[in-house]
Amino acid sequence: MKKALQPDELDPAIDDATDAAQMTDAAQMTDAAIDKMLRLARQRLARAITPIRRSEAHVGLIESPLGRLLAAESPRGLVALAYLDSRDAASILAELRQKFDLIEDSAAAARIGEEIERHLDGDDDAIVHRPIDLSLVVSPFQRRALTRLREVPAGSVVTYQGLAAAIGSPSSQRAVGTTMASNPLPIYVPCHRVIKSDGRIGNYGGGVERKLKLLRAEGFEVDRGDRIPVHAVYGHWQSRIFCSPACSAVRRAERKKWIIFTDAAHARGAGMRACKLCRPA
Amino acid sequence: MPQPKKTETPMRLDLPPPFDEAVARHERELMRFLLRTTRDHDDALDLFQETWLRAYRAWPKLESGAGLRPWLYRIATNLCLNRARDRMRRSRVIGDEEIDLARAPASSNGAHEGVLHLKAAIAQLPHNQREALVMRKFGGLEYAEIATALGCSSESARAGVYQALKKLKLSVELSS
Repeated sequence: MKKALQPDELDPAIDDATDAAQMTDAAQMTDAAIDKMLRLARQRLARAITPIRRSEAHVGLIESPLGRLLAAESPRGLVALAYLDSRDAASILAELRQKFDLIEDSAAAARIGEEIERHLDGDDDAIVHRPIDLSLVVSPFQRRALTRLREVPAGSVVTYQGLAAAIGSPSSQRAVGTTMASNPLPIYVPCHRVIKSDGRIGNYGGGVERKLKLLRAEGFEVDRGDRIPVHAVYGHWQSRIFCSPACSAVRRAERKKWIIFTDAAHARGAGMRACKLCRPA
Repeated sequence: MPQPKKTETPMRLDLPPPFDEAVARHERELMRFLLRTTRDHDDALDLFQETWLRAYRAWPKLESGAGLRPWLYRIATNLCLNRARDRMRRSRVIGDEEIDLARAPASSNGAHEGVLHLKAAIAQLPHNQREALVMRKFGGLEYAEIATALGCSSESARAGVYQALKKLKLSVELSS
């Protein structure tokens, strides 16, 4: 039996024939002619793509004291930040790709990593000035909750119920819980500052250990039973007045209207003034 | 205590290249491929545009840069085949073949008829064999790249090209 011919050893006749098929004016164009074509083609392509062009997002990995993170920055601001031990990079990238053209940029990621480190070292200014982009958040309710949450400063916490009330849906604490669990920008949108109404710390997308670490780094002292500190003061969201827990005003008003500060100094730092009735220290 | 030095290996995500970079990298070979396959300046320009537009729309599905080149060739090849199919359907009605003959460059020693015959023979090949052949012979792709584009093994890509060439050879022999 004859040995099967390999494709590359076939009769020259076939190659001649295929060569002949390739030989046309068009195929024999010079480099200069191709250049000319490409210039035209590029212009046409640019025109056709402009209307469907996605914005760019710069993405990169960060090695931080909170573990490995993935960060993405759009032209409008930080658009995604994820703990890679609790979320799979591929799924976040897939989500981002639907809206953005991704560009790997480890320098941009490193800048975010530095901010997070400074924040953990107690620099309250480190992360608050970076613009954020909530493009990955589809629901208006969730956007409202996350936007409002940015007003809860370092050194304080708010309850799920309190945050729900603050965006005008007092009975939506579960929906607020879900929103926190799917927060695309942990740390920057401080979902770690949202606790349960009974004063327990509650859950965290990146694990409770990280939540405690962040709260403590921000000066919010949490005791071993994960309870709010004894010297905490209660700041009223609307009136900007803070009281001691024993104040009759605190007992009278609904708990959900309060931001809980670790101490009076933090409440003052957030621009609140002390109640004249209870005179918190 | 000083923090231990972090590992020096840079952490990479292995993303596909940015679209514009991919265009810059592959535009020339793709244009040449389209010119060879369509043998028509305007068709090549149209298909070039269509290939990149399709690629851009499908870009979010690309998970890494691996396999980008065969993927692009697959898009381009499919577009070429679609166009060829449309042309053939139309030529049955209006006798395009003659126009083709009239427009073709003056041929030396009857090579021209051979070309036409070969064109028809290629069109009759089974889909996968034809794609493999076009990518190999006109696109100059490696078998591994063809395999990625067609979603088969290197061996079957090679076999596809071989079978296609065997059929073409037979067809050329029968016609002469």
